[in-house]
Amino acid sequence: MAALPTGVEEQGGWVECLHPVWEPGGRRQVLSELPGVPTSSGVCSEQDPVASSGGCNFPEHKKPELNTRAFHVGAFGELVRDRLRGQGDLSLKEPRATGIRAAWARRGRRGWDDAAVARDLGCDLEAGTELKAVWGLGKLQCCEDQDPEVIPEDTDLVTLGVRKKLLERREETLTIDRACRQEILAYEMDSHAIGKKPENPADMIEEGELILSVNVLYPVTFHKHQEHKPYQTMLVLGSQKLTELRDPICCVSDLQIGGGFSNTPDQASEHSSKDLYKSAFFYFEGTFCNDRRYPECRDLSRTIIEWSESHDRGYRKFQTAKMEDFTFNDLHIKLGFPYLYCHQGDCEHVVVITDIRLVHRDDCLGRILCPLLTKHWLWTRKCFVSKMYTARWVTNDDSFAPDDPCFFSDACFRMLHYDSEGNKLGEFLAHPYVAPGTFN
Amino acid sequence: MGAPPGLQADCEELLSRFQETDSVRFEDFSALWRSMKFGTIFCGKMRNLEKNTFTKEALALAWRYFLPPYAFQIRVGALYLLYGLYNTQLCQPKQKIRVALRDWDEILKFQQDLINSEHFDVAYIFRKLRLDKAFHFTAMPKLLSFRMKKKVQRTPVTEEFKEPNDRVMKLITSDVLEEMLNVHDLYQNMKHVISADKSNPNKTLSLVKDDFFDNIKTIILEHQQWHKDRKNPSLKLKGKDGEEKMEGNSQESESCERAASLAKIKSKAFAVVVQASKSRRHRQVRLDSSDSDSASGQATREKRNKETLKSAGRKKSSRKRGNF
Repeated sequence: MAALPTGVEEQGGWVECLHPVWEPGGRRQVLSELPGVPTSSGVCSEQDPVASSGGCNFPEHKKPELNTRAFHVGAFGELVRDRLRGQGDLSLKEPRATGIRAAWARRGRRGWDDAAVARDLGCDLEAGTELKAVWGLGKLQCCEDQDPEVIPEDTDLVTLGVRKKLLERREETLTIDRACRQEILAYEMDSHAIGKKPENPADMIEEGELILSVNVLYPVTFHKHQEHKPYQTMLVLGSQKLTELRDPICCVSDLQIGGGFSNTPDQASEHSSKDLYKSAFFYFEGTFCNDRRYPECRDLSRTIIEWSESHDRGYRKFQTAKMEDFTFNDLHIKLGFPYLYCHQGDCEHVVVITDIRLVHRDDCLGRILCPLLTKHWLWTRKCFVSKMYTARWVTNDDSFAPDDPCFFSDACFRMLHYDSEGNKLGEFLAHPYVAPGTFN
Repeated sequence: MGAPPGLQADCEELLSRFQETDSVRFEDFSALWRSMKFGTIFCGKMRNLEKNTFTKEALALAWRYFLPPYAFQIRVGALYLLYGLYNTQLCQPKQKIRVALRDWDEILKFQQDLINSEHFDVAYIFRKLRLDKAFHFTAMPKLLSFRMKKKVQRTPVTEEFKEPNDRVMKLITSDVLEEMLNVHDLYQNMKHVISADKSNPNKTLSLVKDDFFDNIKTIILEHQQWHKDRKNPSLKLKGKDGEEKMEGNSQESESCERAASLAKIKSKAFAVVVQASKSRRHRQVRLDSSDSDSASGQATREKRNKETLKSAGRKKSSRKRGNF
């Protein structure tokens, strides 16, 4: 396995070219390399020294609120499992069954339950039983029949006051409040796989597995996207290979079909770019992980490495490795730091690993369903004629079209440009088009 | 989303009322919860997506109060608040509480403190949350997505809830004291060993006060005692009826007298009350004109803390002079 460089942070690196503006506080990060200097931001920072255990395996804030130092994912996983072992926190087992029978069973086991409480808390059995009684009294339900749709009249809570005003204003202005498609889609994507269990137990995710949340930004450069670039979010397991993340990344450039097909519209969907140009790489912390699974795959990173080594450009030595040889557990990464995914030769996506957490009982527990796509939205281009269907064709120099270029759905395109026998009518250039929002 | 509007005010209101009860018992907290009808905070026609985001933000907000540097009582209140929010949320399946690994050690220490000081109901609540798998164990508390353009918002720590900073105790811990004793003993023994007369070390070697360690110990103990007096002196102990009054009482009466005399002075100053702004109207100080003694509204709670600090400080300095 190629050694991935770690340790001292340097300003250099390919990724810097994408983000030339560093924060003015950037100098601060040099100090934070010194041992003993607190690096974490937030409430704990003044009191806590740098955690001595774990060293660089402990994710800590580098630039406050932006990204952490580099750490090893697998080692972090080990640390988490060590800390939590033996207390049942790692377990993915279902909770005890509910229902009448279970309640009876619980009653019979009451003595056992109380003993468990007493043992865990280190108090005596009597106190344990008393606790359960007390807890029963101190219930938090205030009114059993409170309708969650209705805000109670006599509330003092500021939050509810604000919410009430909003609802009242909507009623006054007759604003119809309905979930739009984007909202429904966003919610569905986030929650569609929750709680799914695989049929085959061998496909079950193991206890203690790490889940990484990865944002892959779209390579769009519209002005309106300057502040908030649209992105898709994938949840991937620590034990999955990098190639397993690479394959499901949806990018329209993968579906592009080169060439004009005005004469042969039916042959358009033969080979997409994804089939023709299979090379790709990920860049993490000074290492280019190239996809070399197929003989057609080329090392796209070679150009960059040669460029950086040709003169003294201030970058440290880059390394290359094979994407299929690495799992996410093998990586050294910084959370919240932008990295790169490049495919199709020049289609570049910024990749940010936003979160790492332990797998939980309520997560989707089927390995084969991972990586899971949980967020994805991009506007889409619609057919000029129907204004309803997604555009599949784009024409140039088209005498039938009011616009150049003009977009059509498949049905509208054929109806307008070809007769019932499929003969081409008029002069035009036609190319298959993949709308950005194809994957919605 | 950022913190939903008004949520921080509501949580702080609940926690400050809890702080006023001077108790860490769950019954007291749940009584406050019910009186504020806090469980209705999720009501109001929120659709699924908004419910999820709101609940996540609420749990993250409450979590902040659970970690240092907040005072012990506030942290207990935050734990109860988390428990309440987690169980009354409307999301299906429930939104979880994010715990960063570096905070987990702190939490376990807190749990051990609870068990040692026999606050079993608090420990039980924590255990229940854990058994219900209410936690997500993460690398960092918040998701990081390299938003450089977004202004970094440092969340300000609410001063009233903070644990008073005890630099002395942080400097001289029991480990340090033990080591000091060891070194001192070793030094004394060494002096005995190298001098000609084994039982009586050479006079020229007595460069250190022999009883210096005992002095330090006494000072530290007094400092601790002063600290205890000045903090909430009557954290009620559960279960044993008479005892809870006893410990708090003697200190309470002293501090009551002090507070009463100072309150008399202050009441004249506070006869005029400032009108709070709309956003703080729930914390509006109310002037009780009937009784000049009880002219303390909510706003003077902080003043009381400062008063006891000042008077205890005076007490301490006089002691210090006496010792040396």
